[in-house]
Amino acid sequence: MTQSDIADRAAAAPQTAVISVTDAGIRYRRNRRARRNFKDLFSARARKTRPGEFWALRHVTFDVQPGEAIGVVGRNGQGKSTLLKLVAEVVLPDEGRVGVHGGVAPLIEITGGFVNDLSVRENVYLTAGLHGMKRAEIQAQFDEIIEFAEIGDFLDTPYKHLSSGMKVRIAFAVVSRLEEPIILVDEVLAVGDRAFKEKCYNRIEELLAGGRTLFIVSHSEKDLRRFCTRGLYLDKGQLVLDAPIAEVLERYNAEYGVK
Amino acid sequence: MTVAVPERAARSSLARYWHSLRLLATRDLRVRYSTSFLGYFWSILDPLVMAGIYWFVFTQVFKRDVGEDPYIVFLLSALLPWTWFTGAVGDTTRAFIKEAKLVRSTKIPRTIWVVSLVMSKGIEFVASLPVLAFFVIITGATVNPNIVFFPLAIILQGILTVGVGLIVAPLVVFFRDLERAVKLALRFLFYASPIIYGVTNLPSQFHFWAAFNPLSGIFSLYRGAFFPEQLASPDDWFLVWVSAAMSIVILCIGMLVFKRTIRSVLKEI
Repeated sequence: MTQSDIADRAAAAPQTAVISVTDAGIRYRRNRRARRNFKDLFSARARKTRPGEFWALRHVTFDVQPGEAIGVVGRNGQGKSTLLKLVAEVVLPDEGRVGVHGGVAPLIEITGGFVNDLSVRENVYLTAGLHGMKRAEIQAQFDEIIEFAEIGDFLDTPYKHLSSGMKVRIAFAVVSRLEEPIILVDEVLAVGDRAFKEKCYNRIEELLAGGRTLFIVSHSEKDLRRFCTRGLYLDKGQLVLDAPIAEVLERYNAEYGVK
Repeated sequence: MTVAVPERAARSSLARYWHSLRLLATRDLRVRYSTSFLGYFWSILDPLVMAGIYWFVFTQVFKRDVGEDPYIVFLLSALLPWTWFTGAVGDTTRAFIKEAKLVRSTKIPRTIWVVSLVMSKGIEFVASLPVLAFFVIITGATVNPNIVFFPLAIILQGILTVGVGLIVAPLVVFFRDLERAVKLALRFLFYASPIIYGVTNLPSQFHFWAAFNPLSGIFSLYRGAFFPEQLASPDDWFLVWVSAAMSIVILCIGMLVFKRTIRSVLKEI
């Protein structure tokens, strides 16, 4: 994509985009031993790439309108999860801009906020609170969350004593309950038993029907076709195709699919 | 079931910051108290045992000519704040490492990871003040109007501790050695700060330099409540002013360091 294309797009993009990524790039170190000194650390956005660093993503530009469901496609290590993290604003771009207008419910490392030594009940309040829900809102939804996770008998059990399936269930129940207009999903759905997985999918469809914006990273073609309308195809850190999902999957399969 | 995107009043970012801060600080306290049998008593036991040791060594073993009487009040009035400082700074070395999963999945302002640690230790400090009050009463120490400076001391110490934490927390992510270096520095600082002695007990050539330890002035403010001599001369107030200025400078440096390094920190963890 040339500079003028980017400028055109930026000008053409209506003000209503909920996610607008403009020429974003992020750079990582290739190995841990690469020498690091104070000067590198403090230079906010040095443009030049030092040896031992690579661009996980570069020159990525796209806009997302409210209500769109976007699937990110690509092989392992091509920057899919990094893109999701950029949109979740849990990492910051080294060049370009990532604008997210509206709250985000990140289904990324969903069990991250849970504390082993606290009870399930305390954990629900903590995690929902950290994601910005008010106490009264959590109270109003508490029963629904517990019911969704099918975990009613374990409310006062320390979180660490739950089975790993239960942990994911309660985490999904909390984060998917956040009343945020944008939902990010990073392959968390690969866990859990079949019945619960289906329940999660239904929940996501419900949210989509309610007008949320979905941004999903997945290797499952079936899931992508089920939810998404538009696909982003990432390869070697570049956005190579931004098109309807069927077209993106076709190209991906043509290039990397099992012959 | 409501699934439509709700129209709700967006909370101001300050309100959200405060909300998250409170959640994390109470979480830390809750975890600490729910997993240990003695709970709250640990937060007073540690300074109490140390105070007992110093009291014994310096009043029963050695002939003491430092500090003031009653020595136990003199000790505790600096030892309790020191426990806050050292505990909080020690915790901030692991701020990002311990919370890595949460930092990777939520976008709350990152300074919260440091500030919440300082706050939860600060709450423990305030909760340990009754111990000081207890010894003030049984030793018959007098309380004077300087006690109005007590809250000021708490605020200054909060500023200083957050400042140090903001410098230490991100740098430890890149230089793990710093974690141990900080421990060593804290042990050194314990003896370099007027805790078991007063600033006036230092040889006169050190007085000027002692002022640049921001803890000196802060501890004088705490001690002034029970020992008016600690805040009597212009020299004592010079200490306080230098401490206040240093604390604010350290906070500014901390914010700058934090802002410049956070981008790399987020990639690293």
